[in-house]
Order: sequence, then C-alpha cells, then structure tokens
Amino acid sequence: MTALGRDAMLAPLEAALREANGDEAELWVHRRRSAITRYARNEIHQNALADETHVQARVVVGRAMGIASANSLDPAELRRLVADAATAARESAPNADWTGLAEPSPVAEPRSYDADTARADAAHQADAIKRITAAVKARGFRAAGTHQIELTEDSLANTKGVARYAPSTMAYLRALVTSDTGTGWAEDLGWSARSLDADGVASRAIEKAALDRERTQLAPGDYEAVFEELAVAEVLRFMSLTGLTGQTLRDGRSFMKDAIGEQVTGPRFSLWDDGLDDRTLAIPFDVEGTAKQRVALVERGVAKGVVHDRQSAKWFDTRSTGHAADPRRYGVGGHAGNLTMAGGDAKREQLIRAVTRGVLITRFHYTNTPDPKRATMTGTTRDGTFLIEDGRITRALANVRYTMSALDLFAGIDLLGPQRLARDWWSSNGMGSIVCLCPPIKVSRATITGSSPI
Amino acid sequence: MPERDSQLADLVDLGARRGAAYADARHVEREFEAVSVRDGEVESVTRSGDRGIGYRVLHRGAWGFAATDRVDESSLRNTVDEAFARAEAAASTRAGHVTLAPVAAQRGEYRTTLVRDPFAVPVAERIALLRAADANLKGPHAVSRRGSVAAYRTRKHLVTSEGTDVRQEIVESGAGVSVTAVKAGAKPAQRYDGRLTRQAGWEFIEHLDLASRAARYRDDAEAMLDAPLASERPTTLVFTPEFLALLVHESCGHPTEADRVLEYEVAFAGTTFMWPKDRGALRYGSEHVSMTADATIPGGMGTFGWDDDGVPAMRTKLIDRGTFVGYLTSRETAAALGMPVAIGSARAEGWQHFPIVRMVNVSLDPGTQSYDTLISGVEDGLLMESPASYSLDDKRQNFHFSTQSARVIRNGALEGYARGVSFQSLTPAFWGRCDGVADDWELHGFLSCAKGEPLQLMRVGHGAAHARFRDVPIEVRG
Repeated sequence: MTALGRDAMLAPLEAALREANGDEAELWVHRRRSAITRYARNEIHQNALADETHVQARVVVGRAMGIASANSLDPAELRRLVADAATAARESAPNADWTGLAEPSPVAEPRSYDADTARADAAHQADAIKRITAAVKARGFRAAGTHQIELTEDSLANTKGVARYAPSTMAYLRALVTSDTGTGWAEDLGWSARSLDADGVASRAIEKAALDRERTQLAPGDYEAVFEELAVAEVLRFMSLTGLTGQTLRDGRSFMKDAIGEQVTGPRFSLWDDGLDDRTLAIPFDVEGTAKQRVALVERGVAKGVVHDRQSAKWFDTRSTGHAADPRRYGVGGHAGNLTMAGGDAKREQLIRAVTRGVLITRFHYTNTPDPKRATMTGTTRDGTFLIEDGRITRALANVRYTMSALDLFAGIDLLGPQRLARDWWSSNGMGSIVCLCPPIKVSRATITGSSPI
Repeated sequence: MPERDSQLADLVDLGARRGAAYADARHVEREFEAVSVRDGEVESVTRSGDRGIGYRVLHRGAWGFAATDRVDESSLRNTVDEAFARAEAAASTRAGHVTLAPVAAQRGEYRTTLVRDPFAVPVAERIALLRAADANLKGPHAVSRRGSVAAYRTRKHLVTSEGTDVRQEIVESGAGVSVTAVKAGAKPAQRYDGRLTRQAGWEFIEHLDLASRAARYRDDAEAMLDAPLASERPTTLVFTPEFLALLVHESCGHPTEADRVLEYEVAFAGTTFMWPKDRGALRYGSEHVSMTADATIPGGMGTFGWDDDGVPAMRTKLIDRGTFVGYLTSRETAAALGMPVAIGSARAEGWQHFPIVRMVNVSLDPGTQSYDTLISGVEDGLLMESPASYSLDDKRQNFHFSTQSARVIRNGALEGYARGVSFQSLTPAFWGRCDGVADDWELHGFLSCAKGEPLQLMRVGHGAAHARFRDVPIEVRG
C-alpha cells in the first residue's frame, strides 16, 4: 500500500476552498487502506482489502452550519461538495452556540507511521498466520483471529489558513486458541508491523488455552483480582465515555461533576490523555484541525479535568485541547481516545503471587455501563479466566460477569505492572476509537455478579 | 462516478478468464441526509454520499476480496489483482475448498415502496418538526435535548459469474429524540430512542408523532429522577415491543447466525450456544415463544429483493413454539453445514465490505391475547419500557440488561415509576419464563448492528409484541 502523500492529500482541498462561497469553510479527508485477513480453524476464511476515502466539507453561512461528505478527491467533486455544504448551510438556521473554525497554530510532526508496514502484502499477512497455526496445530489445538494492516492519511484545511496532513499505520495480530476444554487469547498491536511477534502471540495464547481445563464456577461476591492489560483497557473505556469529556461534565453525567480537585479514586491511579506519545496510535491534530495536547485527567486519584473540542471549550470558557472526535462515531463535546494510565514495575508473577484468593481476568466481551455516573462497567470475561489461590493459578473458571464502578476498582489498586498498548473489546473491533497505554494491575476487590455455565 | 453499464459484467468476466470458480462485482452508491437540533439550535444539516465497487473471487478454493472507490481502468485492474492475490494467500492456508449452496440465476429490480421521498422534504419542514419536538423535551430538570431526522438511499447492482444481475434501490427514514434530566441528589435520567427507523418514506416520520413522543420522554425522565428504587426480588416483567426487539436481536438473532457455528466470528463477535446437533431438540423458550426470520416484510429494515449472494428474500422459522429449529445462512455457510439452500442472509454494509451472515427481520411471533389481558394478569410487577445498558457473553447465553424507564404494575394497572432496575439471565432460562405474548405486534428497525472485520454496521428489523415473563430475578442499583 502506498501513501498518497501531503501534496496529493492537501492541494486539492486548498484549491477547492479558494472557491468556497460562505463565511467559513473546512475540508477534512480521512483516507484508509485496510487489509484484514481473518482466520478460523487454522485457515484463512476472509481476506479483504478496502481502499476508501472520506471527505467532509463544513461550510458556515451566518452562523448556520452545512455539512456534506463524499468519497472522492477529484477537484470537480470537491468543488461540488463545498457548494453542497454551503447550500445545506443556507437551508439550515443560525446556531448561537457556533464557535468558529480553528485558527492556525503549531502542530507536532506525526510519529505513528512506518512505510514498511504500509507496504506489507497479503502473503506477508498469511505468513504470520501460518506461524501461529503451525504452533497451534502442533499442540492439537485450533486458532482463529485477525491480522490487520492499515494505512491512513488525514488532511485538513480551512479558510482561516489551517493546513494539516498526517499519515499513520497500524498493525494488529490476534489469536484465539481453542482446545477441547477451553480457550486462550493473545495479541500484539502497534504502528509498525515489526511490533507484531507471531510466535510470541501463539505461545501466550497456547499457554492460556492449555491452562483452561476442568473449569469450575465462581460464586458471586467480592474477590481480589488481577486484571491484565486488555481488561484494564475495557474499564478505562467506560471512564472515558462516561466521565472524561466536556459534554458529560456539562450534562452532569460525569463522575467529575462537582469533584474536580477532589479524591475520586485511589492514590495509585493516575490517568492522562496524550496523543503525542510516540508509543500510541495517533495523529497530532483532531478533526477540527486543533493540535492535540496532553491532558491530565486524574492524578494520584484526584480528578483534574476533562478533554475539550471547540464546542465544549466554548461551554467552559476555555481552549480546545484537540479532542474533537470523528463525527461518524462520537458526538460533539470532546473524546478522550489516547489514554495513558500510570504503570509500575511488578511482573505478572508478582501480581499473581500477591493474591490470596481471587480471579485473573484476561479480557472482556460486549461490556456496557448500567450506571454511567459512577463509570460502572458490566461484562463477561472470556479466553482466560482463572482462580488464584495462595499466589498461584489453581483452576480454570467458567466465564464470570463482573459489575463494578471503575472508581471503586481503581481505589483498590495494590500493584501495577508495566504499560502496554491495548484496546478494549469495542475499539479493537472497530466500534470505538480508544487506545490505551495501560498496565496490568492487582486489586484488592473486584465484584463478580454471576457466572456463565461451564 | 456513475457505474458504466458493462463495468461489472466486464470485471466478472475477467475473473472467470483468470480462473476463478466464482466471481461477483457489486456497485453500491449510498446517500444520507440528516438534520439535527440540539437544545433548540440547529446543530447541522448534513448530506453525505459514497460509492464504489466491491469485487469478490473464489479462486483455488478460497475467497479473495478487494474494493475501491476509484473506477479508472488502472484502479480496477489493481483491485482485480489484489482480490486474486488475497485468494491465493488464503488458499495457501486451506486444506478444503469453499463451496456454495446452489441458487438459480436471478434477474430483476427491487425498490422500496414509499409515499413521500424523504430527500424531497424541504429542510425547513424538517427543522420545524424537530423544533416542535424540542419544545416538548423541555422540562424543569432537562439539561440536554436532542432531536434528529435522517433519510438514507442505497442503490446496489450485483452481477455474478453464475448469471445473476439484480438492481435494488432501498430508501429508509429515521428519527430520534433524547433528553437528559439532572437533579441534585438524584441519578441523572436519560430517555431516548435511536431505533425509530423504517424502510419507508417521510410518511413514517409523520407517523412517529415526534412531538407527542418527546413529551412522553420528558415526563418519563422527570419522573425517573424522583422514582423510588425498585425492590430486589424475582418478579413479573412485562416488556414493550421496543425492549423485546433488542432482546430478540441479541439473544436469538445473533446466536442463530451460521458463521458463528463455523467459528468465523469466534475472535470478535463470538460463537453460539445453538449448535447443529441441537436443531429440533434444544428447548430455547416456553411454548409461547416462536421467532421468524423474514426478509420480505414490507417496511422492514432487513427487507430486500436479494441478499449480496444474489439469493432472493425469504422467510424461515428460527424458534418454533420454544424449540430451536433454524439458522440464518449465506451460500457458503449453508453448504458448510450441509443445508440444501441458503436462506438469503449474506449482507455487506457497503461496497467496501465482504458479505457475511447478518440478520434480516428477526421477530418474535405475535400471540393472540390483547395487551390489556396480558397486563391484567399481573398482580405485582414491572413494565420495562426501553433498554438502556446491555451486555452479552460471547455465546449469547449470559446477558445483562438495564432499563431507561420502568413502570410499576399493580393489580393489572400501571401506577408510577421505579428506578434502578436491571436483570441478568441465561437465554433459555429467560425465554422459558415467558407465559404470554400479546397480539399488538409492531416492527422496529436498527441502523447499526455491528459485526465483521472491518466492522460492518447493518440495518436489521425486529418485530415484537408486549410479552410477560414470570419470576425474573431483578437487580436494583441506586
């Protein structure tokens, strides 16, 4: 896959904007070339590549907004798109809340792009999968999963002189290994295909699948627990969506409402949003063209603030932190999508050794929040849920349902491991855009509210 | 970029000449228009569209797929090359060949029947409708109000190497209103519905009566702020058709998707607890529970002429008087499970997506008693009005739902509200508690059932009537 490059992605926008007819106008392009190879029962069953371009025009006429989008960078189509947005603006009505488009400002260089990754082809992806399935078959197990290579290019220009461009790449490899008695999961994620270790993924997933035998059911109750990184990312997702944005704070739905500066969880928990960290997947500006900033959210358990886009910045009489979200996915009011949680140096064995009687959770499936104000998450575990007794894993468990406030969970952090790039179930499956650098943790209390059948 | 007349046939011919056992080319053009109002202000008027070609080959026993939004000769050649390269890479991992259940070559056109084209409704009329609804969302504690109307048009042309050549034009209309009420010392209350969609014209939006609906949502949200906590106990629950539409979707629609049986979705959406050996034997629910997949229901969001395998729309039973009997299948999954015909459930969200097994309109069949009779049989229980949070396990066997709004039922009549209600259950245990379904069946539409990689958001329909469930243990959270 080849990047179109800065000129091809920006010049047509600037040309179309020169002919824009309105008070303010903006064009944003998101081009994505995504190669997804899916395998199941040790064989590739879907192997697809899609090359798509999304172009969005926003035109403001007398504080009324018109939006039009299409999927072509052809100059004539771009001109038509801007004209369509202007027509929509004239048909609309003035919005007293309108903030104006972003002004030019310095922006960091993109850091999440690797040309070799962009060039990875179908054979490269199949080879990685063959390494996994060979190891899995040797154990008599079967594997399923995904190998994804994605090249994206974002560009944005507006009539105030903002001109942005950033390429990025993403590489993802996951394996679900199934034995006759259970399952095990492992994955690698990064902006370079070099960060994918097919042998390591296979080995970790096999190890868990082999342990997952003779399951027993866990009675509901409070338990000590080890949450691995994917499980932590799942909890962070709900903190983000329910509490870390200007919109939720304004609505009074955020746990931060009337609590900024207050202790909201335990002192071992710190969280910030940083799209400029070169370990994460991000570009350095948001969909309004605002440069991204690092935002402290919770420091040592004390609520510090939320992220803003231009709309929520206006509500709170502050400046945008560069957290406007793709409007196809999230609403207005900010989106904290590059979360970093402070980690520690405890090794996995140390986390497990610290548990007298509790549960190890690898990851969750189809979670949700029955109590958004407390950032409460409920969900069932899968692909590696184990009973820990006296500091060691003793039994495999049937999947359990966990239901608990994130604030209560993180109040009980005893130990933290090193950070790793991880995504929640929703984001890893394309239903969200939250990437976390987060550690595995050992907590003193996790609430289990039910069990699936064995 | 309108598609050239022979473009798809040329691509399919090229696939056959290069040795593909099967090839299809699908041109899809989508249009979308929306108007949204937030707190009385027009937030935006949005128009969007996209178009492109998806190209699929079955080569050396494996699928390859590539899609592009550029249709110059060079881009299309690259797309064909990429599809073959992907099929070859997939074939290098396979022991067996993909086979397809047979279907006769199809020719024809399908169009949504509509009274008034929603794209032709003046924007000013749409804004006026939303502002009238917004005015009714205002309440003493309403801090956030939103409303929107939307129109969707999809034009699709499918050509296959087996002689199928079908065109479809599908138009959908939708609306949504929501209100958030906040009061000091009380849990915030939200009331919304994002599933007011129908394959129909503007007449459906008028039928919704958004202004009255907004007033009801405002009253519900205000009442929930002050409502007493429900008491935690096993109780009788009556569900609205709206709530059951989601329960049917999550606990019957998904686990009867045949690709879950083949573990194609095991690493993402999960598998099922309804295996082939269970067909005709598994007790899914009580004798009151029958469920049907039907892609022919007028107005359904899962209604079409042909699926993306070119299989004509049809109707099939999934649950028959409590017993699991059928699956949703594509040509590939039907053949893999040894079924003689596919039931037409291969669907792709857009041109850029590979068709996978999706729901069509999957519905709870209506009963014969009236709603009044159903509710008169409740001495002490709750009416669950609309779902809030929901969470399912990877087999669709263990679920947890909470509700936006619950009404107290006492001696067969509604009286007041209760808050904090949620419930978790195993699927067969839940449907086994159903002791009555009313005759007030109605159709609901979902815009964004999520499945597949890359993610595909699919329109699906679900019909249901009020239904009553006995002795359901509920959880209560303050």
